[in-house]
Amino acid sequence: MPPPVRRSAFVLSVTLALVLTGTAAAGNGGLAPPSPASPNAASIRDIYWLILAITGAIFVIVTGTLLLFIFRYRSKGRPRELEGSQVRGHTKLELAWTAGPVILLAIIAGFVFWKVSDIGATSSLPDSQAKGAITIEGHQYYWNFTYPNGAISVDTLRMPAGRAMKLTIRSADVNHSWWIPALAGKLDAIPGKLNHMTLRATKLGTFAGQCAEFCGVLHAAMLAHAQVLPAADYDSWVSRRANDKLGLGKETFVGVCAKCHGLAAQGGYGPNIAQNPLLGDRKGLTNIIRHGTGKMPAVGNDWSQAQIDAMIAYLHKRFAQGASGGGQG
Amino acid sequence: MAARAERPPLSAVVAEGRVSSWLTTVDHKRIGILYILTSLVFFIAGGVLALLMRAQLATPGEHIVTRNSYNELFTMHGTTMIFLVVVPIWAGLGNYLVPLMIGARDMAFPRLNALSYWLFLLGGIILYSSWFAAGGAPRAGWTGYAPLSEAGYTPGHGMDLWILSLHVLTLSSLAGAINFLVTIHRLRAPGMSWMRMPLFVWSMEVYAALLVVALPALSAGLTMLLLDRQAGTHFFIPSQGGSALLYQHVFWFFGHPEVYIMILPAMGVVSEVIPVFSRKPIFGYTAIALSTVAIGFYSMLVWAHHMFTVGLPGYLQGFFMISSMIIAVPTGIKIFNWLATTWRGNLHFDTPMLFALGFIVIFTIGGLSGIFVAAYPFDWQAQDTYFVVAHLHYVLFGGSIFAVFAALHYWWPKIFGKMLSEPLGKVSFWLMFVGMNLTFFPMHMLGLLGMPRRIYTYHYGGAWEGYNLASTIGSGIMSLGILVFAWNVLRTHRAGARAVNDPWLADTLEWYTTSPPPPHNFDKVPYVTSPRPLRDLRRRLAESRA
Repeated sequence: MPPPVRRSAFVLSVTLALVLTGTAAAGNGGLAPPSPASPNAASIRDIYWLILAITGAIFVIVTGTLLLFIFRYRSKGRPRELEGSQVRGHTKLELAWTAGPVILLAIIAGFVFWKVSDIGATSSLPDSQAKGAITIEGHQYYWNFTYPNGAISVDTLRMPAGRAMKLTIRSADVNHSWWIPALAGKLDAIPGKLNHMTLRATKLGTFAGQCAEFCGVLHAAMLAHAQVLPAADYDSWVSRRANDKLGLGKETFVGVCAKCHGLAAQGGYGPNIAQNPLLGDRKGLTNIIRHGTGKMPAVGNDWSQAQIDAMIAYLHKRFAQGASGGGQG
Repeated sequence: MAARAERPPLSAVVAEGRVSSWLTTVDHKRIGILYILTSLVFFIAGGVLALLMRAQLATPGEHIVTRNSYNELFTMHGTTMIFLVVVPIWAGLGNYLVPLMIGARDMAFPRLNALSYWLFLLGGIILYSSWFAAGGAPRAGWTGYAPLSEAGYTPGHGMDLWILSLHVLTLSSLAGAINFLVTIHRLRAPGMSWMRMPLFVWSMEVYAALLVVALPALSAGLTMLLLDRQAGTHFFIPSQGGSALLYQHVFWFFGHPEVYIMILPAMGVVSEVIPVFSRKPIFGYTAIALSTVAIGFYSMLVWAHHMFTVGLPGYLQGFFMISSMIIAVPTGIKIFNWLATTWRGNLHFDTPMLFALGFIVIFTIGGLSGIFVAAYPFDWQAQDTYFVVAHLHYVLFGGSIFAVFAALHYWWPKIFGKMLSEPLGKVSFWLMFVGMNLTFFPMHMLGLLGMPRRIYTYHYGGAWEGYNLASTIGSGIMSLGILVFAWNVLRTHRAGARAVNDPWLADTLEWYTTSPPPPHNFDKVPYVTSPRPLRDLRRRLAESRA
């Protein structure tokens, strides 16, 4: 190539490399999976680092050799008619670069099997053993969590720190994928299938994630959080939530309805429903939540009566203050 | 009738018309050109869809397209690039080159060959007509996972047209694949044993064999989906006793061999280009040929590595990790042999060579990131994120498409009889190389930061914004490179230099005939005594002169 092109290409790539490194350093990087808040995520990160070290070395060797050969054996004005060394192969070399990768891959696979025994993750447990688990149910376009005592939350999972929890993951409609990167890898929510994951969170805090399997028009809005609480706080939260109708109602409205209809029910992807007479019509509302209508999916096709009551109570309080009938809360 | 007897018969008029001769042609070279040009048109279309997506994702909360349009964009982009660009452009290049490379006069079944092309065009038209369907274009992703793709969740006829289009394209590819297999098995020139066959022909042999094995699985899956949607069956509807997971198994049993269907011919092209521009024989011919077969075989044993997060039992995940890693071994063999081919060569960096060397660098990155996602616990993090988007584009764009460009620049003189401009070719290579890496490398980081694929927007600050913007800028640079290529083609068409028979001093038989070749390809095919028949001829000629 002509020298000016080569020089500008070089300058361009160096600049881009600097920009990228700068971007990486400015944010929290993206050079590795997020800092782990559970042994599961930590094991996965270990696997990542090992593979990065091995593949990084291979990349440096391959491109280094290529660049060296490109420089060393460039034609330098030699005519095309002049042939290079007519070597056709070398059996020992072929064997070496077959065996080398086999050994490296065996090291990686061995390390993975060693680490995965720590993770104890996705193997399907019989339903009998999954009792007492938190059920995570994916819906278009929110997550519904049911705790062992029947308490429910939406989009924000509460977890006790330091206690191994069984999570049962299922779907009420299409495929979704449950994923909080700091806690563990993802596990799909597939209709007609129960998936199980055992998870012990070790760090307090709220960790973000989102649905990772394309599930329809608002897939991008299907965010999730896991809030890891001290075990005692978790226990008291779960027992409080079991009777906290308005709390559940609000979470349900924000997670289920507001994604389409807006936080003030002012409309968005779905229509404005703030003045909709259906809000005061308990039977009609139940029907539409259970079965959907038009473009609206059957968002609450398998809700417990308690969750329906909680949401109606909240809608009633928020949008039809003072009106009688309908809600019980 | 008697009064008109002096007029030539209709068939002769049709065979010589400027347009009608193309419509009725059964010449493998013309069919090849039709395939290539049609695929390039779809490449531009699919590229525009991708640019719209990158524009939408350039900054958070962007409103360039609507949610539904975005979902249509990525569905159509993926379907276009896989079924209307990469697979058919290999069919086109294979159509043009395989008979020439093996010294045959045409494909084994010329009329079937024409049918393959016209079915391909029909499939493409059906797919693009879905933009006008009730309910809009398909929007369940190129994978069309059930139950989202079922009528209850994706109503309208976009999905039905998608299914119909893929059915038609499947028939097209199947007929083409059988044609390739018979041609390669039966029509090789005297003396061209299997081990004297050009490596590109080896790769087309495995390409065709994999299509024959994999496509019926896709047809079966699509038929079940269509019956679910239109005839009231419930193969994939769990609430009525079907299995949502079954669709994924069927789809990926086709889908993973499909990946190698798209990359093996690319490896074949690189195996042709590197030795010619290194002025050397390929290093380890046998190892490269056999590794092609090995990759083809193992590609049928790895499909569930696309399904590590569906909750497979641990032993299956272990099995699919190991089978996936095994594929890295023959792939590595190819890369090391290409490197060794450049060793002590006389390297000429013409545009085809630049694209082939660029392929090695980019494909190495794509191959290595494949080891990450084969390690199933890491894949639980990376699956369905931008890490996978990065990986697949390193393999399919940096791999397949770079090799397509190497092939176009390398064989353009043979196909069209004119030399593409070298300076423009080099500018286009560097723009595509830099743009490609800037577009797709930051996606690895986005995936590790937790950005799932197929989201129409994001509201996350920090590094998500920087990487997404960098990626969008890269896609612009890449498009400039493709525009320069288009300009190069137009300029060459108007005022390009005439190409001689063998401008690169190459090794294989297609360079023995004129550029472009006559309809019957060869007046006489030399007896083949090695994998490099043309070099043998040149040497014999030089000896007789001396």
